[in-house]
Formats: sequence, C-alpha cells, structure tokens
Amino acid sequence: MSTKENRERIELLQGTLDLLILRTLLRGAAHGHAIAKAIEFNSDDVLQVEQGSLYPALHRLIKRGWIAMEEGTSENNRRAKFYRLTAKGRRQLVTETSKWDKLAGAIARILRPAEQEGKS
Amino acid sequence: MKRPKRMLEDLDRDIREHIETETRDNIDRGMSPEEARYAAMRKFGNVARVKEEAREVWSFVRLEQFWQDIRYGLRMLRKAPGFTAVAVVTLALGIGANTAVFSMVDSFLLRPLPVDQPSQLVVLAFQHKSGALDNQLSYPNIQDIQSQAAGAFSSVLGYDIGLDSLRVNGNGERLLTSYVTGNFFPSLGLKPYMGRLILPSEGAVPDADPVVVLSYSYWKSRFGGDLNVIGQKVSINARPFTIVGVGPPGFHGLHPLLDVQGYIPYGMLAVSGRESGFMSDRARASAFTLARLRPGVALKQAQTELDVVSERLSAEYPKVDEGIRFSAHSELLSRPDPDSGGQIVQVGTIFLVLTLLVLLLACVNVANFLLIRATGRRREMAVRVALGAPRNRLVRQLLTESVLLAVLGGVAGIILGVWCSAAIAGVNLKTAIPTHLDFGLDWRVFLFTLGVALFAGVIVGLIPALRASRADVNQVLHEGGRGIVSGRHRLRDTLVIVQVGGSLALLVIAALFTRSLKAVQQTNFGFDPAHVVNLSMDPKNLGYDDASSLAFYRNLLDRVRALPGVQSASIAFAVPCSYYSSSGTLDIEGYEPPKGQPAPNIKDNKISTDYFQTMRIPILHGRDFTSADDENSKSVVIISETMANQFWPQQNPIGRKFKSTDAKRVGPLEIIGVAKDARFSGLSGTIDPYFYVPLAQSVPPFVTLQVRTAAGTDSLLPALKSQVALLAPGLPLFDVQSMDDALDTMNGLLLFQFGAVLSGAIGFLGLTLAVVGVYGVVSYSAGQRTHEIGVRMALGAQPGDVLHLILRQGFIIVIAGVLAGLLLAFGVAHTLGDALVGVSPTDPLTYASVSLLLTCVALLACWIPVRRAMRVDPMVALRYE
Repeated sequence: MSTKENRERIELLQGTLDLLILRTLLRGAAHGHAIAKAIEFNSDDVLQVEQGSLYPALHRLIKRGWIAMEEGTSENNRRAKFYRLTAKGRRQLVTETSKWDKLAGAIARILRPAEQEGKS
Repeated sequence: MKRPKRMLEDLDRDIREHIETETRDNIDRGMSPEEARYAAMRKFGNVARVKEEAREVWSFVRLEQFWQDIRYGLRMLRKAPGFTAVAVVTLALGIGANTAVFSMVDSFLLRPLPVDQPSQLVVLAFQHKSGALDNQLSYPNIQDIQSQAAGAFSSVLGYDIGLDSLRVNGNGERLLTSYVTGNFFPSLGLKPYMGRLILPSEGAVPDADPVVVLSYSYWKSRFGGDLNVIGQKVSINARPFTIVGVGPPGFHGLHPLLDVQGYIPYGMLAVSGRESGFMSDRARASAFTLARLRPGVALKQAQTELDVVSERLSAEYPKVDEGIRFSAHSELLSRPDPDSGGQIVQVGTIFLVLTLLVLLLACVNVANFLLIRATGRRREMAVRVALGAPRNRLVRQLLTESVLLAVLGGVAGIILGVWCSAAIAGVNLKTAIPTHLDFGLDWRVFLFTLGVALFAGVIVGLIPALRASRADVNQVLHEGGRGIVSGRHRLRDTLVIVQVGGSLALLVIAALFTRSLKAVQQTNFGFDPAHVVNLSMDPKNLGYDDASSLAFYRNLLDRVRALPGVQSASIAFAVPCSYYSSSGTLDIEGYEPPKGQPAPNIKDNKISTDYFQTMRIPILHGRDFTSADDENSKSVVIISETMANQFWPQQNPIGRKFKSTDAKRVGPLEIIGVAKDARFSGLSGTIDPYFYVPLAQSVPPFVTLQVRTAAGTDSLLPALKSQVALLAPGLPLFDVQSMDDALDTMNGLLLFQFGAVLSGAIGFLGLTLAVVGVYGVVSYSAGQRTHEIGVRMALGAQPGDVLHLILRQGFIIVIAGVLAGLLLAFGVAHTLGDALVGVSPTDPLTYASVSLLLTCVALLACWIPVRRAMRVDPMVALRYE
C-alpha cells in the first residue's frame, strides 16, 4: 500500500464523511460505533469507513456547531457519548445534500459519455 | 473551552469502547476472540493518528507541534555536533559579514541625525552654469535664501568648521569647533545639557559674541564633567571666551565623521583666522548650509522656490552670482556632501551585494550539507511517513531544523558582525582631528540581521526538506542503506557549481581592489614621501601670536637643520592627503573667467624655505623662496605647472601677478617660480592647480614641521621632540608620523586599503566556502561509492581508473563553476567603475590568475577524498554492506 493512495482516500472521505454522519444522525442521536455501523449497513457495505476517522470528523462537526454531544447509556448499559443533530446541522444537511446532488450529477454527466467512448 | 478538553480526555475511553463493541460484534459473527479483536483494530485504523487528528481539531496543536519540532530539532543538532558546528560557523560568517557591512552602510547613509524631525532637513548647495556642485555658501546668500524662500524653509542655518586652540589655566589643546549661525540650535530643536546653547541673537555681528558651548563628550573628557564649568573664562586662539553651556549628549555636530568639540557663534570666525569681510562678501562661500522644510513642503516645491531666488540673486548681483543655481538635497543622500553622495551609495551597494553573495554561498554550502545528511536520513523519513506522519509535517520539521541552524548562525553572526564593525570603527584615521564613527547596533541593523538569518534558514532548509520528504517509502525501505544512484547528485552538483562560481566572482573583485590599491601606491605623487617625518603643532596653544609663532618657527628650523641625520627641514601648513587645506578665490591680472563662471578658486599652501628640497618637488622655472622673502619684502608666489598652463598657456608666467582672498597681504602676489605638479588631495584623477606662498608672508593657523632624514625616521624623533620642547615648553604635538603613514588618510590611501582589505576578506571567505563545498560533495560521493569502487577493484580496475572516475566528477563541477564565475565577475566588475583606479575591470591577468588559483585549490579539495578512494581494500568495501 503506497502512501499516495492512502492520502487520496482520506481526501475523498473528508467532506463526504461529514455529510454521511449528518444524514445518519437525522434519524436520531447515536454513539460512535452505531454511526459507523449505520453508514456501512445503509450503503450495503459499499462504503467501508475506516472507523477511526469518524472521531476527528465528529469533533470537527461539534466544533462547527452542527452536532452536539451528550452523555447517555448504550444498548449494553454502558456510559457512552451520544451525538445528535443541532438545528444548525439540520440546515447544513440540506445545503450539503443539494450541493452533493449537484456535484454527483455533474460528475455523472462528465463520466457517462467518456465511458461510452471508451467502450466503442 | 471546557468541553473540548473533556472530549479529548474521554477520547481514549471512547475508542477503547468502540473497539470492544466491534470485537463483540465480530465474536457474535463467529470469529475467535483473538481474530475478532484483530479485525476490529484493523477496521478502526491508526489509533495514534486518530487521536492526533482529533486533538488537532481543537487546539493550538500547531503551536504544540512547533515546540515539539524545536525540541526535536535541537536534539538532532546535538546528536551531530560536528555538522552543527560547521553549519553554524558557516552561516555565522555569512551573516556576520552582512551585519558588519550593513552597520557601516547604516551609520553612513541611513541613520538620521540626532535632531528634531531629521527628515525635514535638507542640504543646500549651488553651482554656476557648468561648474561643480559646491556645498559651502556665502553668508549673504544664506541670509537672502532665509528671507526670500521663507515659504519653503522655516529656517536656513549655516556652520563652518575650525581647528582652534583652547587654553584653560595655561594648558593649550587643539579644539575642533563649529562656528554656527544663531538659529543653528533652535532650528535643530536641541536642548542644552547644561547652561545654554548659542542664542538666535548671537553670531550675526562680527566679533560680538565671545562665547563657546562645549560638546557633551568634550566636556566629559577635558573638563571631567565639572559642573562649575559654566561661566568659566578660557582663551581660544589667544582670545578670551566664556563657556556658556554644554550641548546635548549624543550630538556630534552636523558634519559627517567629525566629532565637533565646541560651538561658537558664526560672527567669531575671525578668531579662526578668517579675513574680515567673511560675513559681507558674497564671493566668500564657506558655510555649510542646511535648511528645515516647513511641514508638508516637498523637496520639489522647495526647489521651485529656490529657483526663483537663484534667478533674482543672479540678476541682482551679476558680478558674483550670475548664472547661480541653488539646490536642495535630501540630507540622507548628501553624505558626505551632495556631490559625492551617489558614489558612497554605489560603494555601499557594491559591498552589500558582495556580502549577500557570501551569505548565499554560505547558505548553499549548508544546504549541501543538509542534502547529504538528508540522504542519510531517508530511512528515518520513510519510516515516519509509513507510520503516518503527514508530508507537510515532515517538511515543517526539517524546515524548523534549518531555521534553528540559521538562528544559531544569526546569533553568532551578529556577535561576529558587531565585533568586526567595532574593529573597523577603531581603525586609525591617521589624524589628531577628533572623529566620530559609530557602527553600533541599532534597530535597523538588528532587523536586517534577523531578516538575513531567516532568509538563510529558509533557503538552506527548503530544498533538502522538500527532497527528503518526497522519498518513496517502498523504495527506500527495500533498498537497505545504499542505493544512491549517481543521477541523483544533479541538484547537489549544481549547488557546488553556484558556489565555485560565486566565490570566483568574489575573488576576482577582491583581486581587482588589491591591484587598484597597488596601482595607487605606485602612483607618482610628484613628491617623495620616503624618509620624511611630520610633526604638527599650533603655537596658539601657548598663546603665541603670528609674530612670535614665526620667530619660533625660524628658531626651530635652525636647530633642527643642525641635527645630525637631517637632510633638510621645512615647515608648511598643508600636508598631502590631510583633512585640511586652504584655498583662495583669485583675481588674476589679464585674465577674465568665461562668462557665467565664477572667479577661479585654487588651493594653496604656506611654506618655509627648503620646502621643495624636503618634498623633492623640482622647481621648473624661476627661483625657490629664500629667507629674504619675509614679512617685510614684496609678496611673492610659486605656482604649479598645471596652474601655469591653465592661466598662462604658452607664456612665461614669471613676473605675472594675481590677488588671492586667502592671502593676508592686500596687494597682488608676484609669480617668481613654477614648481612641478604634485598630488596634494586625491591620489587619482586629474591634478588641480596649486600655488605656494611664503610662510612669513601669510602665517597659517597651525603648521607641520617636515624633516627629511638620511635613514629611518624613528631614530630622529626623540631629538626633534626635545628641540620643540626646548624652544616652546609644553607645546602639544599632533600627528607625529612618517609621511608614508600620513598618506593613509580618508583623503589618501585609506579608502583604497579599506576596499582592498574588506573585499579581500570577503573573497577569502568565498574561497573557503567553495573549498569546503567541493571537498564535502566529492568526499561524500566517494564515500558513497566505496562499495562500487570495491567491486570495480575486485574486478581488476587499477587505482588510475578509480582516480579518473572520482576526479572527473570534481573536475567537471569545478570547471563549470569557474566558467559561470567568470561571467558573473565580468558583470559585477563593470559596475565598480570609479572605485577602481589604475586597473581595468576586465583585466585579463586578474581573471586568469584567480581562475587558476581557484581551480588548483578546488582540485586539491578533490584530491584528498580521491586518495582515500584509491586506497580502498576491495574486501573491506564489499563486506561493508
């Protein structure tokens, strides 16, 4: 594994991971492990999050005020930190989602003709 | 900030819990506990990095990292003390040279005068149609500018410089005085340390105000800081004066270099031997003049107003001022005078550029060391990258190390620089005239050095840092310790080429300056300085008047000439290359100056009999002075060859007459002889016209006894001194030195010597840096190729082949560097222009010999590593891996 690939993946994940976290929390507060599991499960295991990178992302979102943290108890009755979406985060999710749609659409439009050319 | 802190504290727990949960999930899926834990940890990723990144979100991580970098950097530097020492010393030399040169430039050109609002001060000068710029104005013109250009200037102040004698309680001593107009101190905004300064009401009337203000430093040294000095009676040139005050500390007068000791109202100039009429005669231009711009008035506006005044005065006084044009110059750009300011700036710039080149070479050298080290640290860097260190973090780490080096070098450099400039400031200017050179640190020097050091740090560190961090992890880790392919040396080789080239340029310039000095020293001065000793004295220190001085001179000469070993002895006012001279404006019978040009102003000397024998200046026509040419006989004069050719071309000047404002006699002087030209001021350039009058007919303010001896001058000195002491007990002697020494003044050889020594030092630095650089690179690459050489020799290569292999690399670098350097030197030398005398900036001999020298020394630097390479034992080299 060369460091070059590694680096590219992190860069790809940075903005996207934030969006995925916000979307996951839309359904209600969750703790770290649950968020990771939810992302994997909901994407049919296509998106394999390097679970550790979740934590810096969570801290970043808290700092921006998009999510908040509270103490709670996990399924196994342990003390755990729960993260929930704030009003600001909710608004951010809307803008981020539409931005993402635009980006995805644009990329798709660019990629599709290229693929056809490649096939012919 | 409580929340983030708690979050970070709990982070460990969160991560632990996360991994445990994941492990349990994995066990539920049927993995063995060990397998489950391993899979969970792999899925989580690098725990350390996650923590690091989470912390980075919150904090002053950057600052923390910065400290960490510094600590780590210091540890790395301590671990390699040899490398650190060489790098710090190299940088210190480069930075120190810059600090020293800049502190001189600062003190000469940048430091403002210690007065109120110095930027408002401008220097006034004038010129006639095609004449040279003159920065001494006549008193009436100063008064007219003051009243007619009042819109531009709030005040116009003038001063003149005098070398007088101050007697206190019977003890006489030389005093460097400034005769100032009444508005001098008020318009500079200066306050007395004690007593009062010269008042605005003083100085406007000749001979009216016999008061003196002492400079602070003179008061401290001569009067021991006596608080009762105010009101004390002293005598200056045998005239009674009263001390009225002490000037502010740190003020040395307005004249560059001079340390003025006393301030006297302008109207008292007659005390210093100025002929009457110095305040009313528009032709007697002798006052250095400055003006203070009104707030908000630009130099250009002031010039416009001055142009109007010039035209008006030109029309009003056509006889003296026709075609006159007064001009205002920024004070900073007029040092030492408005005419030569540009030249000093040019010389300063040249030396700054040269020392910056030295610094650049030093940086290149250290960058090269770092590159070599970086190659050795490739594994370390690769491992750190593999462990997840971000690349920019590594660059920052390496940059911190090199900036640390530069800061250490900067501290050492500033100490070195201050020490150097103090040594230069302490140079003997070969004069008893008090001078003031202060190259001390001020904020400009400090900022400059700081900037230079940081610049050095970044230059030095950037290239190696970028390269080292680009290392490919896989390749480096698989390679083992070796695997440096020779193609990778290209950057390092380029740096050495830059270095060799740069130092060649420095050496060429150093050599040109040295040859220039040699050329000046070998100039035919027109007099023979060998075996002549000078002793200066001022009989006014004992209260003598002109008549008793003259009697003393005659007695002294009689006795000195009778001493064994004395070939001839004479007395003169001016000595060649000294800091003082006298000149007069001439009114020549039968000669009209060209329209619009002022009457000629020509330097002269007052001399006793035997002067031409002592100086060995031949008399070409007519006769020498005799003892019969005394105070009672008709006024006579001997003129120089150039003067004869200028005013009486193809004619016999003997018997012609002219008047001089400098002569004490009112009537015309009759030419009785023509002497061969001699250089009295300026050892290069054209020789100005000159004339001599008998000492007895124009007694000067002070004199120098000049004695030509058969052998060395030193042995005779005690006898000469005792003769003076016998005739005039207690008379102080100044500037007792051989004539050869006396030529080493700022007006003589000193600047040439200074240039030669300074550029020589810079060139030597450059040479050293180049040798160290070439040696470092060649020996390193030879070391790296030990294995290869071993293989080659095991396969049957002869030592000669190895020699060829290693030497070729060094040779190519050196030759490429020499070629680049020749081009650079050629370009730089052309900007030297006037600073070189008697040698062409493209002198082929200099270029060839310096190239040869550098090539030999650089190849010698290759030779040592090559010899080591040739002695390699194949078995040792192969087992080395």
